[in-house]
Amino acid sequence: MSDAVTPKPAVTPYVNKRPVSQRIVDHLKREWQIYLMLAPTVIWLLLFLYKPMYGLQIAFKDYSIFRGVAASPWIGFEHFETLFASEQFLRALKNTIYISMMSLIIGFPVPILLALMFNEILNQTFKKTAQTIVYLPHFISSVIIAGIVITAFSPSAGIVNTILSWLDVDPIYFLTKPEWFRPIFIGTTIWQEAGFQSIVFIAAISGVSPTLYESAVVDGASRWQMMWKITVPSIMPTIIIMLIIRIGNMLEVSFEMIILLYQPATYETADVVNTFIYRQGLQSGQYDFAAAAGLFNAVIAFVLVMTANSISKRYSRTSLW
Amino acid sequence: MSGVKLESIVKAYGAVQVVHGIDLEVKEKEFVVLVGPSGCGKSTTLRMVAGLEEISDGTLTIDGKVVNRIAPKDRDVAMVFQNYALYPHLDVAENIAFGLRIRKESKENIEKAIKDVAGILGLENYLERRPADLSGGQRQRVAMGRAIVRRPKVFLFDEPLSNLDAKLRTQMRAEIKRLHQRLGVTSIYVTHDQVEAMTLADRIVVMNDGRIEQVGSPMELFLNPVNAFVAGFLGAPPMNQIQAVISGGDAAPIAEFAGQQFTLPPLPGLQNAVGRKVIVGIRPEYATPQTKAVEGSVSCTLELVETLGSEALLHTTIGGEPFVIRTETLGNMDQLNAVNGFTADPALVKVFDAETGVALSGQLRVA
Ligand SMILES: Nc1ncnc2c1ncn2[C@@H]1O[C@H](COP(=O)(O)OP(=O)(O)OP(=O)(O)O)[C@@H](O)[C@H]1O
Ligand SMILES: [Mg+2]
Repeated sequence: MSDAVTPKPAVTPYVNKRPVSQRIVDHLKREWQIYLMLAPTVIWLLLFLYKPMYGLQIAFKDYSIFRGVAASPWIGFEHFETLFASEQFLRALKNTIYISMMSLIIGFPVPILLALMFNEILNQTFKKTAQTIVYLPHFISSVIIAGIVITAFSPSAGIVNTILSWLDVDPIYFLTKPEWFRPIFIGTTIWQEAGFQSIVFIAAISGVSPTLYESAVVDGASRWQMMWKITVPSIMPTIIIMLIIRIGNMLEVSFEMIILLYQPATYETADVVNTFIYRQGLQSGQYDFAAAAGLFNAVIAFVLVMTANSISKRYSRTSLW
Repeated sequence: MSGVKLESIVKAYGAVQVVHGIDLEVKEKEFVVLVGPSGCGKSTTLRMVAGLEEISDGTLTIDGKVVNRIAPKDRDVAMVFQNYALYPHLDVAENIAFGLRIRKESKENIEKAIKDVAGILGLENYLERRPADLSGGQRQRVAMGRAIVRRPKVFLFDEPLSNLDAKLRTQMRAEIKRLHQRLGVTSIYVTHDQVEAMTLADRIVVMNDGRIEQVGSPMELFLNPVNAFVAGFLGAPPMNQIQAVISGGDAAPIAEFAGQQFTLPPLPGLQNAVGRKVIVGIRPEYATPQTKAVEGSVSCTLELVETLGSEALLHTTIGGEPFVIRTETLGNMDQLNAVNGFTADPALVKVFDAETGVALSGQLRVA
């Protein structure tokens, strides 16, 4: 109970006299099963994430597929200069930031709210059914999701325009209108992923000790008070971790979905860095230029994760590492 | 009058009935302890009083008002849980204040209440810490603080000390006792530790299998258990129980077991029971060890001597059945090792029917 500082007893440090190499061999002999289990992931990481990093250097080179990566001449930051002089890139960057910020602000709370709502449902059958329905879109291919969205918003047969016509509104060509692209895109990704993302929060909620609620009930708390004063604070560490991850992936705007939904008519609001890279790199063959854009994207993402993590560490004791 | 009255309280989970009609009246300011083996329905009963479990049948009255259908918050009870149920995201002060904030008390009242409670429980220096940064005993105190801060009519405790180590448990036990004397709030306390029950209770309720076996003051239960279950439950080490048959002696009934005889007190209940199978109950502390056969002694085989310092436990057997004697050591180990029998004052011996377990011998005076 007292905070008095007792002097630490002098501890003779344990000295291992055997050489390091010998100890490593012993360790491997003892724990090889664990390393075996780890191996597939490590190999995957090396092969698909680390090895391609070698190719990153073409962002600083005048790359040609005929000369190869190593033989192409260095040109320094020339591609980056072109990049920032490119109207299209700047537009893509602006769109990326805008779309990802909006997705984060609107999309991030949705799974949390869903989880909280599921937690309040008492009827188990209804709860299970509702959960299955909201998880479902996650398991449907993006192509089909996009197909559903395109059909729903189609000016001739789409459900949205049909409803509008009942209200005497003329059909709107939603997917060709730049001002409609972002709401539709953000709505679609929320519909697709929010249910599935809520699983993490549902798991976190089910980890909260039931006696906390019982104690609150005896203290006189209403369900609403328990939600805000117990459930939400209890899952706050999970929320923060998920937020850090989300911020880290922020610039990874759901690339397939954009490709599937955008058209040249909506590039103005829809084109993001990833789709820009795709068009420049794969469609126009400017690999070095596209690599520069990709690298830039990655650096920004890295800075974002680091910042989010250290802010969280400082203010909430929770962090990813 | 803030007493609690349970009348034929029943709890059933579906078709399974776990509490079978409990009648109990807890008087105002009384400290009642529910004890019993694991799974006997102590927690369930307590939780029904708290309102955390629905009452399947019967009437529950708190402070003269039937509360069966009243929400926990309107019953004006406070509960301390075994795992403390502290909010990990709130500091000690806010944990204590939780119930008051929920009830939207004024800021000044809350501040003052926190201060008072922290003073009572010696938590002044920890108010800003989170539960994770407290020791077990401190957490326990915060949990108590959260209960007393609301000044409820009734305190409910569900094994509040069972997560603490033995020494701390003794210390907190005394603190709970002092707190009760100071605040004088009606309390119901659940434990399966009979020492806790004996030391804390005004009255003990011994439960078994969803029923009350006996209710009474600690000494009443210790001296006059109504049946073999209560006799075996209270006291450490528990009462020795020897299977025997009663035969009629000239002046007094005699218990026969393992080829030996033991003279029982001349009570009508026993004299009428000649030929009946019984359990003779002798508390370890009421058996006087002997090193040679004397008048009325029972011989036994010494197997092991456990010394506890000033006292020793002699583990012996009678006809293969274990029998424990508790005695002073007085530093004389040779004498203890030579023990081969014991005598016991017949007046302190209990006799129970072997089949029903009901006490056949009469009442002892309550000390
Ligand atoms: N939800 C439930 N459904 C069915 N049976 C239950 C339920 N909750 C408790 N029980 C049963 O009710 C009985 C009493 O349980 P209770 O928790 O009151 O025991 P206890 O006396 O507090 O035991 P312990 O000392 O181990 O805490 C047990 O047999 C238990 O299995
Ligand atoms: Mg219990």
